[in-house]
Parts: sequence; structure tokens; C-alpha cells
Amino acid sequence: MSKTITQDLSFLHLISGASLPVQLVMLLLLLASFISWWFIFRKLFTLRQEIKQTDEFESVFWRGSDLNALYQRAASARHAAGSMERIFEAGFREFTKYQSGVDIGPIMDSTRGAMRAVYQREMDRLESHLSFLATVGSVSPYVGLFGTVWGIMNAFRELSNVGQATIAHVAPGIAEALIATAMGLFAAIPAVIAYNRYASDTAQLATRYESFIEEVSNVLQRRVAKPRDVANFS
Amino acid sequence: MVRLPRNKSEPGKLRAALFALLVHAAFLALLVFGLNWKNEAPEAMSVDLWADLPQRPIKPVPPIAKVTSQPQPAKPQSRPQQKTQPQPQPVIKVAPPPVRKPEIALKDKTEKPQPKEEVKNPEPVKKEVPKEELAKKPVEKPVSKEGVKKSEPIKKEVPKVEPVKKVEQKTEKKDDTRQQVKAQEQTQQREQQMAAVKAAQARALGEIEKYKAMIQAKIRSRIIMPPDLPGNPAVEFMVTLLPGGDVLVVTLRKSSSYAAFDEAVERAIYLAKPLPLPPDPGLFNEFRNLNLTVYYRE
Repeated sequence: MSKTITQDLSFLHLISGASLPVQLVMLLLLLASFISWWFIFRKLFTLRQEIKQTDEFESVFWRGSDLNALYQRAASARHAAGSMERIFEAGFREFTKYQSGVDIGPIMDSTRGAMRAVYQREMDRLESHLSFLATVGSVSPYVGLFGTVWGIMNAFRELSNVGQATIAHVAPGIAEALIATAMGLFAAIPAVIAYNRYASDTAQLATRYESFIEEVSNVLQRRVAKPRDVANFS
Repeated sequence: MVRLPRNKSEPGKLRAALFALLVHAAFLALLVFGLNWKNEAPEAMSVDLWADLPQRPIKPVPPIAKVTSQPQPAKPQSRPQQKTQPQPQPVIKVAPPPVRKPEIALKDKTEKPQPKEEVKNPEPVKKEVPKEELAKKPVEKPVSKEGVKKSEPIKKEVPKVEPVKKVEQKTEKKDDTRQQVKAQEQTQQREQQMAAVKAAQARALGEIEKYKAMIQAKIRSRIIMPPDLPGNPAVEFMVTLLPGGDVLVVTLRKSSSYAAFDEAVERAIYLAKPLPLPPDPGLFNEFRNLNLTVYYRE
């Protein structure tokens, strides 16, 4: 009895000895866990870079640089540009198209519209994989639980075939089943934490972009009001 | 327009994948090496527990050694006798019991405790009978001695060989003193036996007292005393025990007139089983029906 226990309870042995549904569940969870960790790291890098670029651009913008120069820089180095810079670029391009003395109302409308469009797209990009993290975080415990329940069901069913039931007959089955739960939790916990963290980061960025859009449109509006004074918009 | 940069600005996809792999490798390592999947269960189950448990039953065996030592006090007495008055009998007396007792001890180890005492009691009787017979027939003694010698433990052989030789020489020389010698022998033997029996009894009594106290203490430790009873009520139970120390029946003989206290003590008696019993199963009769008086305050 003790011999079978010592032999059977190696980790890999447990996984290979599990029934097919449990193995499938484990595979699924491993995949989900891997992808969710992949997204976690990707989002981490993206958001970190995004925040850094936004900080930089904001400080440059409010230092009172020339809007034309800023636009030139943004349009030329588009790959290195952050979301905020791209929003500014789109808005300023739209603004310059109207430069030849049209009504201020339509100009500002279309400028703001252009900036909004880029803003939406940028937000969409920033939030792209968060829904996957949320799904993994909420569902994978259940999937793991399903694997566990299935494994325990099997363990007990096999137990019924044995005349003298000891804990040694059930223990390996339950242990291998519980691995599924462990994997589910392993996938879910980081996903949930990362989702919350990234959601709040994204929301922060969103408010910064929105207020930036308003501020830029105000600045451009002032510039239409006194077109001569191009450089000093503060 | 904006899509191109979007795709390219996604930083470190590969790096992220690498990190993800690293995390999973760490998790796998934790599962495989972090948990002792194999080692702990067998150690705890088979080796330790079973090594411990059998030793306690064996411990009782040393007292059996004491039992075998009971005849020993008779030996020193018998040796001076041999020197002054050559008598082969004491040698014979001493010899058979040690031979038998090891057998008994072996039986004890194989867990047949009850026959011990029964065997012990007949022993002294047997001792007397052969002594007298042998005293009447001294010629045969040397032969029997030699036979005994071979079977005797090694330690005993050395001192005894000399008295035997003396006895042989003396039996040849002095035939007339034999009768006197016989009479003296018999009285001395009886005295010795009496003394030995008394000593054994005293020892047994001490043992019984000791174990009764242990039983009391064990039961006492299990009692959950009802609080705030006035005075020092005492309850008396008769406990019928099984040889293993199991409690068969507990009957109330004298109530303390506090039902809560009575019940607490009765529960404690059942909780305390197996009760400590002397390793010598011969003493069990003293414990078969045990009268227990438990006081509320000690």
C-alpha cells in the first residue's frame, strides 16, 4: 500500500495518469495561463512606454514650444510617437487644412473630431487585450474546478470497484484532480491583478488624453482668434 | 495612416513571450521540486510509528527479568549452605527455574501473558518436591547436576561446579550426617522459599499499588470536573477490566450524590482506557475487578 503511494505521487506521473478530460482541461489552462502572462508582459511594456511618452510630450508641449515644430516632429518620427503626440498631430493637421479663413465653428468641430477619432483608436489599442485578461481571470478557476470535479468523480468511481477502500486508493486521483484547480488559480490570480492594474492605468491615460484634447482645441481656437500671434499661444 | 505605427509600436512581444515562459517554468519547478511528492508519506506511515509501538509492549519484559531474579536471593543463601553442609539440591533448585523462565519470557514476547503467573506459582512447589526427593537420593544428584550444568547459563556454571565436586566428595565421606543435613536443608529451604515468596509477594504488592496509583492518576487526568461542588464528595466504581487494559464494565457502587460528578468520573474511566496494567500478566487477577474511589478534591 505504502509502496503504491510512493510510486504514484510524482508530479509528472500524476499528470500523465490523469484521465483525458482532466488532461485537456490542464492543457487548456496551461495555454490560457501562458497567453495571459504573455499579454500581461506585453501590456506592461506598452503601458509603461505609453506613460513615459505621454509625460515627455506633455512637458514639451506645455513648455511653450512652437506648434508647427511640434507637428513636424510628430509627423516625421511617427514610430517613436506616443498616443498623445499622435492625437496632437491629427488635430493640428486637420486645423491647418482650414487655415484660409473659414468660420471658427466648423474648424474647431472638425479638429476636435479628428483628435477624438485618433483618441478612440489609441484607447482601443491600449485596451486591446484587457478583455482577455478579464476572461481568464474570471473563467479559469471554474475551468480548473471542472477538471478537479471530473477527476474526483473518476477517483470515487474507481473507488467503488475496490472492496476495501483506503485513502490510498483515492489520494492519487484527488491529487491529480487538484492540480487542475491549482493551474486554474495560477492562471486566474495574476490575470485578475494585471487586469485591475492595467484598467486603472488605461483609465488614467484616457482622462489625460481627453483633457489634452480640450486644451489643444482651446489653444488652437485662440490661435484662430489672433492668427498673427502664432508662436506664443500661452 | 495610424495603423502602421500602431503595429510597430507594440514593444517587446518576444520579450513578453520569453518572460511568460520564464514564469511558467518557475511555476512548474515549484510544483515539481517545491512539494515533496514522494518522501514524506512513507516515512511517517511505516517506519516511525511501527518502530515505536512494539517497544512499549516489550518494556514490560524487564520486570519479568526481575521475576527471574526472585530465586536469585535464594542462591547466595544456598551457596553458603553448600559450603558448610554439602547439598546438591539447591543447585538443582536454582537451575531449573532459569531454564524455564527464559521460555516464559519468550512466551511473553509472543504475547501470551496470562500463563506466566500460573507457571510461577507452581514453580516454588516444584522446587520443594524435587529438593526433598533429591535429598533422599544424593547419588543421583550429581548426574542430574551435570545434565543441568550443560543446560545452565554460562555464568552460573563456574561457581556451581566447585560446590558440586565438594558435594560428591563429601557424600562419599559422610553418609551418617546426611539425615541431619537433610532436616536442616529442608527447614532452610522452606525458610528460603518462604522468604522468596514473601519478597515476591511484597514486590507484587508494590507493583499492584503502583499500577493502581497509575490507573487512578490516568483516570483523574481525564476527568472534566464539574465546577463548584461543596465539600469533597467521593464516588466509588467497580471497573471490570480486560487483560489488555480495556474497560469492560463500569458499575457505580457508591454514588457521590452528585450525578454530574459521577458521570464525569464514569466518562473519564472510559476515556482513560487502555488503563495501565502491570506487564506481568500474573498480576492481572488483582485488576480484573477494580474498586476505584475517586475524590472530588485530591
